[in-house]
Amino acid sequence: MKIYEAAVKKPITTLMVFIAVIVVGVYSLSQLAIDYFPEIEFPTITILTTYPGANSENIEQNITKPIEEQVSALNNLKKITSRSSDNISIVTAEFNYGTNLDEAANDIRNVLDRVVPLLPSGVDRPTILKFSTSQMPILFYAVTANKNYEGISKILEEKVINQLNRINGVASVMTIGTPKRTIYVEFDPLALNNYGITFDQIAQIVKAENLNLPIGSVKTNDLEYKISLQGEFQSADQIKNTVLTFQNGKTIRIKDIATVTDTLKDRSIIERINSGKGLRLLVMKQSGSNTVKVANKVKAEMEKILPTLPSDVKIEPIFDTSRNILTSIRNLSETILFALLFVSIVVIFFLGRWRPSLIVLAVIPISLMSGLVYLYASNNSLNIITLSAISIAIGMVVDDAIVVLENIIKHIERGSTRREAAIYGTNEVWVAVIATTVVIVAVFMPLTLLTGFTGALFNSFGWIISITIVVSTIAAISFTPMLSSQILKSYAYQKEKRKITLWDKTIGKALNQLDEFYKNSISFVLRHKISTLIVAILIFVFSVSLMKFIGADFLPQSDQSMISAKITLQTGIKVEKTEETMKKLEQILHERYPNEVVAHAISAGASDEASFISAFSANASNVIQLMVRFKDLDHRSRSVFSIGNDLRSVLDSMPEVIKYDITYQAAMGGMGSNNIDVKIFSFNLDQSMVYAKQLAEKIKNIEGAKEVLISQESDKPEIKIFLKQEKMAQMGLNSAMVGAALRNYLTGFTASKLKEEGKEYDIVFRLNNEIRHNIELFKNITIRNMQGNKVFLSDIADLRELSSPPVIEHENKQRMIKISVKPQGRSLNEVATDIEKTIAQTTVPQHTDVVVGGAYQDQQESFRDLALLMLVASLLVYLTMAAQFESFTMPIIIMIAIPFAFSGVFIALFITGISFSVNSLLGAFMLIGIAVKNSIILVDFTNLLRDRGMKLFDALVEAGRSRLRPILMTALTTILGMLPLALSTGEGSEQWAPIGISVIGGLIFTTVLTLIIVPVLYYILIRSGSRRLRKKFQSEFSLLDEVLPK
Amino acid sequence: MKAVFIIYNKAVSEQILYILDKLSIKAFTLWETVYGQGNEGEPRMGTHTWPEENSAILTIVNNNQLPDLQKALKFLDEANKEVGIRAFVWDAEYLF
Repeated sequence: MKIYEAAVKKPITTLMVFIAVIVVGVYSLSQLAIDYFPEIEFPTITILTTYPGANSENIEQNITKPIEEQVSALNNLKKITSRSSDNISIVTAEFNYGTNLDEAANDIRNVLDRVVPLLPSGVDRPTILKFSTSQMPILFYAVTANKNYEGISKILEEKVINQLNRINGVASVMTIGTPKRTIYVEFDPLALNNYGITFDQIAQIVKAENLNLPIGSVKTNDLEYKISLQGEFQSADQIKNTVLTFQNGKTIRIKDIATVTDTLKDRSIIERINSGKGLRLLVMKQSGSNTVKVANKVKAEMEKILPTLPSDVKIEPIFDTSRNILTSIRNLSETILFALLFVSIVVIFFLGRWRPSLIVLAVIPISLMSGLVYLYASNNSLNIITLSAISIAIGMVVDDAIVVLENIIKHIERGSTRREAAIYGTNEVWVAVIATTVVIVAVFMPLTLLTGFTGALFNSFGWIISITIVVSTIAAISFTPMLSSQILKSYAYQKEKRKITLWDKTIGKALNQLDEFYKNSISFVLRHKISTLIVAILIFVFSVSLMKFIGADFLPQSDQSMISAKITLQTGIKVEKTEETMKKLEQILHERYPNEVVAHAISAGASDEASFISAFSANASNVIQLMVRFKDLDHRSRSVFSIGNDLRSVLDSMPEVIKYDITYQAAMGGMGSNNIDVKIFSFNLDQSMVYAKQLAEKIKNIEGAKEVLISQESDKPEIKIFLKQEKMAQMGLNSAMVGAALRNYLTGFTASKLKEEGKEYDIVFRLNNEIRHNIELFKNITIRNMQGNKVFLSDIADLRELSSPPVIEHENKQRMIKISVKPQGRSLNEVATDIEKTIAQTTVPQHTDVVVGGAYQDQQESFRDLALLMLVASLLVYLTMAAQFESFTMPIIIMIAIPFAFSGVFIALFITGISFSVNSLLGAFMLIGIAVKNSIILVDFTNLLRDRGMKLFDALVEAGRSRLRPILMTALTTILGMLPLALSTGEGSEQWAPIGISVIGGLIFTTVLTLIIVPVLYYILIRSGSRRLRKKFQSEFSLLDEVLPK
Repeated sequence: MKAVFIIYNKAVSEQILYILDKLSIKAFTLWETVYGQGNEGEPRMGTHTWPEENSAILTIVNNNQLPDLQKALKFLDEANKEVGIRAFVWDAEYLF
């Protein structure tokens, strides 16, 4: 029994099967994770190594290099980059897409085991992080407090951070700018000398005093007493009174030679929230966990935490990645509902009756739900790519059902009962229906084979379209006949046929007139076939020539109600100086955008703790990180792009600002960037820096090249101490001793900890302010040698003021300076081409390579992938077509629709001024399937009519007349289905509107042209049909002709 | 006894069987799919060009059953000429 027969004969079973699909679909929908894009992060592992006190060159040579050497030998490695800056080495290994991150992490751990013994002592063990440093936190909270500001760190740790860290999916919670209680014991070096006490001695005394020790126990008759020594400091005052020594009958206490202050740790980071003191709390998600889910859990937990905090402590979200995702997805879901509505209207418009319309529309939920089931089963998420796919599928899934239904109705009108019509009507068309589906799948399946970045983006797209189309076909040959057999009206034995309705008198009549008009038009163009062909070719050439006016970008930029800026002031300035500029910026925000700004966080400075934070945030005293959240797009009149431009002009007018970098995305990290990176590879940093500066100046003159930034900052001043080996040896010192002593003097060392209410606070020993802020005094500092004698630093060392690069970057082990350029007003590839021209005009220094990369590189790779894919898809379509029509020329006639689809895309993009991006290319790609489908319908029916004995000319005209409606219907359902996508203006629409616009433009164009050019080309190319073929075979029977009558 | 050979579009299969049932014609032979073409109307070839198919029934009926069968088949045929039902009749005898 055939599937359609079984379906009609067992309506309940069929109904249950499809209801099951819908139920599973609804369940999947409720379980699906929501995200902005499919998971497209390349598996990335970051190796973080800290070596406190080392400068960038030390770090590069001693840490980064050995790690890079070993890691670069790993399998599946795509690229290895590194950043060596003061105190910290960050090596990032990016693996090929699909690499198992856990295995890679294990490999890296093994490799590090070999490297660690080679690293200098004093280097902390490298930390392996399973996410990329470009990955941004999912939630930013601004924390402000008045009364409790000083104790905020304790409050946050006890009541917030621990709780949030427990949430499943949260990788870590960090704070930036937390004030930390520290007890400073600052010595006067002169006093130290006078009393002949060394730092080490004091430290030992303090350690020895600050002690709790269990002594043992004493047993009396009945009881046992534990005895313990209680020596730990109870307060900072106690430290002051610690006795150091007795000299000349006098007790020398710490307070005699030092000042003890119980205060907040020296600020090296300044953090200001909404123009006041505050700090930022960042929540990072684990790689692979879902942003929205994790963010929701964190927010829910935060709601519970808030009431438990002191009343002056305020925690408010400043940036929430999940909010942008949700808004985008909500907007897109709305467009899907509109698409459903439009498609329903089109179906009712063409079919004119409600029962058939209902039968056709019933296929939509079934097919779409199967797409959702796929998403759930494959562990995918609802994101703008998968939702766009669903939105596109809506218009396509009804086609098969319409073909089947029309044939069923034909039989009913001829007098069959609805059951018979359903079975035998389907029997006649089911093979043809499956054949068209095969073609569509041939177009979309190659998308699922894409690898790399583009693959990650579009695999799910290909799968969803393929699966929903296949399911729609299955539904069309089972569910549709079943439903027809149940709800269509039979006309058998009724003398009067269908009633004439209002539809017949109006729309039906108009459609008939359209059919006639089209019939006449075909006759006309067939009689002027050559001139028609020439006009068509001219139109095509014209549209291709428009291409040079259409720019090309990688991914469109989105307005996410967010601006981040990195503003660099002069190298080497103090953080306190930077703070002045920060306050100025705050004022500017308030004055210029009073109605738009919701919250802002601004920070500057480098953490001296060399921790994660240094990898993520501002990392120099002269760098300001600004983060501004704006009102939702619906509640503000200016886009973030316009505000960003305004901010640029403000920053341009500030003399202290050296350079700045404004981005509009905080959510996507590396992937949303639209930069062109010019990478200059050379070991000689000075030389490449000179070249980079020259080149950057030239690039600035290129039209549309904005924010030309050199990654390398100007060298920063540094005092280097060159020790005189011989002198040192004479004095009984070595480099390690000198180094350690000086480090203790300046940076201080944590001698012990003060315990209070279960918390430990550092007790830091160092020299007093006077010396630490005066280079001349510092030179005259003394160091004790092994014999305990004083040695002046200036005697054993030369102090020279030199400069050194603050950061050294590597890509694939080579030193690199990067010039990043942000295209504005012009598209990515226009600017990139000009940059390449500019580079060709300059003289590149010796041993230097200059490569243009960044988003431009990604774009080129993606475009190349997609172009190749389009070729593969076209070839597959040709193969399937050639097999289906048993002809080499038929597929060519059919595929003529493809170039015209592209003409339409070009024209649509030209009119709307949108540039070519991966998304619009994807739209163009889908057109291949839809355009081809239309011309198949036309060619196939022409063949059929010719086989039935019609003359070529008549067959073409008649095929056109009778297939006009199905073609218009397919095109209109798809066009109207895409219309909401193209017209939507909500948050995130920048991403999908290009898909809609290119599909609509291409489809309108290709539909109109298919209807004209396909018959013309058929008329020109196909002279011999199957009738001629039959004659050829019959000529072999010529012997028989002799006995047959003439 | 008459032999009746009925060729009809598959799309009316159930109605033909209904007629036989109502007329208490219990014995018949059914070819579910047969191809062919008539002097008028479309060929029924089950191909892409001519996708429709016919079925055929051979039944031996008593003479008194014949007028009812003829009437019913004619009615069905005339309900829509496009469907096309053809029936032929000749004498039949028992062989054993």
